[in-house]
Amino acid sequence: MEVSTHSSLRRSQTHVRSIFEKYGIYIFLVILIIVASIISPNFLNPQNLKDILNQSAALGMVSIGQTFVILIGGGGLDLSVASVMSTVTVIMAHTTEGQNSLFLPITGVCLFFGMLVGLVNGLLITKRKVQPFMATLGMMIIIQGLRFLYTKGMPKGEFPPIQRYLATGDIGPIPTSIVSLIGMVIIALFVLRKTTFGRKVYAIGGNINTARLCGYNIDLIKIAVYMISGVMASIAGLYLAGWIGIADNWVGKGYEMDSIAAVVMGGTTFEGGRGGVLGTIVGVLIVMMLYNIVLLVGMPVQMQYVLKGVVIILATSFYASFRRGKA
Amino acid sequence: MKKTVTIIVAAVFLLTIMVLAPIAWAKPFPRSWLYNSVAQKMTDTSKYKKRGPYTVGFSNASISNSWRVYFAKQVEYGAQDLYKADVKKLYVTDANDKADKQVSDVEDLLAKGVDVLIISAATMAALDPIVTRTMRRGIPVVCVDRRVTSDNFVSFVTSSNYAQGRAQMLWLCEMLGGRGNIVMLGGVAGSGPAEERAGGGREVLTAFPGIKVLDFQYANWSPSEGKRIMSALIQTHGRKIQGVHGDGLQTSGAMEACKEAGIKIPITGDHLNAFIVRAQEWGFPAMSIDFPVSMGTSAVEIAIKTLKGEAVPFIYEVPRTIICTKDTENIKSDMPWSKMVHKDWPDEAWINTLPANWLPY
Repeated sequence: MEVSTHSSLRRSQTHVRSIFEKYGIYIFLVILIIVASIISPNFLNPQNLKDILNQSAALGMVSIGQTFVILIGGGGLDLSVASVMSTVTVIMAHTTEGQNSLFLPITGVCLFFGMLVGLVNGLLITKRKVQPFMATLGMMIIIQGLRFLYTKGMPKGEFPPIQRYLATGDIGPIPTSIVSLIGMVIIALFVLRKTTFGRKVYAIGGNINTARLCGYNIDLIKIAVYMISGVMASIAGLYLAGWIGIADNWVGKGYEMDSIAAVVMGGTTFEGGRGGVLGTIVGVLIVMMLYNIVLLVGMPVQMQYVLKGVVIILATSFYASFRRGKA
Repeated sequence: MKKTVTIIVAAVFLLTIMVLAPIAWAKPFPRSWLYNSVAQKMTDTSKYKKRGPYTVGFSNASISNSWRVYFAKQVEYGAQDLYKADVKKLYVTDANDKADKQVSDVEDLLAKGVDVLIISAATMAALDPIVTRTMRRGIPVVCVDRRVTSDNFVSFVTSSNYAQGRAQMLWLCEMLGGRGNIVMLGGVAGSGPAEERAGGGREVLTAFPGIKVLDFQYANWSPSEGKRIMSALIQTHGRKIQGVHGDGLQTSGAMEACKEAGIKIPITGDHLNAFIVRAQEWGFPAMSIDFPVSMGTSAVEIAIKTLKGEAVPFIYEVPRTIICTKDTENIKSDMPWSKMVHKDWPDEAWINTLPANWLPY
């Protein structure tokens, strides 16, 4: 009798733990929204929420790509995303000079550029066995140098009006950037959950040896995820540039670290094989909300770094404590 | 007879050139020198006198924003074009805003045997020892844009950050008639220019007790940070905000946030093309005072004067301009706003003294 009570107690504890592990970040998001609205009544202003969503779009897009890379495991991460974001900004402004007619073809060029960077990253990591951190760090610096050579330090040109609309306009009450982000989230969810490719990504991240024994082409899939990350970085760069409206050499600065933070906060671990895009988006919203709350309550803007760091540590130790129990 | 007439005409012609040439080539004179209430401190550079042409070393903190890109180009233009008769070689180093790298950059330049060092220091304190050692070795140092903590240099070529902040704030306060609420957006926290401009602004506020600062945030001289921060400030304070004080890189972003919120309030900046163009296009009351990129070229001029043994001002303030969409009692435009608008220039271009073939794009 006692054994049976004890084991049913343990089962319900495990059940509660797994709910917390799976949904903890969503619970935290809700708590954050409640706390924010209490400490600052302006937080729930429709315009403020719209600002947060608009500002989250670019980070959300680049974080989707980063999710794929981190899911594949093996220490996978992509530090080159911010450089890609800045470079596509410069390409778009320089070549279109503000003309709508050139927007689509140049977008194609920018996406191709992102794919190319991802391909190089993927090849370095799979064929040359370079650590992802080093490979993507090296690419980040190379792209930065190439961008400065191309612009001579001074980006010129302007963005086509359609790009500005996509980044700052509305469809009804919803910002166009959020409509795009939602579309990308749906596609990413579909790829990860409903396609063989997605299952392979999880499998390789979960246990690479088993995946190899199953006959998966690990190198090809790794290259593919880095190419996805490159493409998402290009899209994010174009959105962010459209939101700022000024051709700046440093568009997206810091987004590589913010995207990694959002992914990890959302429950995707560096070991790979666990997590997903929805958690990442919640992580993005938390990062952006913290930034916004700091300003709404009149704290110095530097406090957002402190808070962000605290939340990252809390989130990762939270997940670690659950996963330690299972191991 | 014919010969006499020809000689007279030639003499009159020459005389005219001699009279008009100085007027035609007259350079704008720094106001700060004119209004300096104490004796101008000059540095005796006779001990540095040597025969040219010279090897010039330029240690730049970085080209991490567009201002610094133009500034660096102005130094190159000065050494390789305007004063090329006096400069046989220019060495340029870039420290990526890292003080330790800049120390080794300076050592590299000294090893190359430069006759003079021009330096824009990443940080005041960390570069002081190497600058002091360089001076002790008999190599004159000209600080430009940013200085070191001690006075161990020949000249500091600059433009007063305090005056910039004061002028911006004075215009804003007078536009608001001495009553109202403003926000201040600063540059990079802790950097000399950011602190001095904000400091200058706060000095002027003491004369306007009816003006209240609702918030002060550092926006890192970034248009996107300026836009993001301003959006949040508008959410917090709404239409209570009646003016924005800051420099063009962050206030051009802030201006867009104001435009999206439908509030057209007085806003200050410096001579960033995006700020000047947007203010005109969007109809914002605006004022701009520059931290001239031309100080790069002036630094080369001062360096050459030093090596020629001519006395140079210890603090050399370069000429600057003020433009306003609307003049106030004490702040008046040097020229119409539209004269500074360059729609064909990049957004992040700065008003400069570079010839067309030297523009960095």
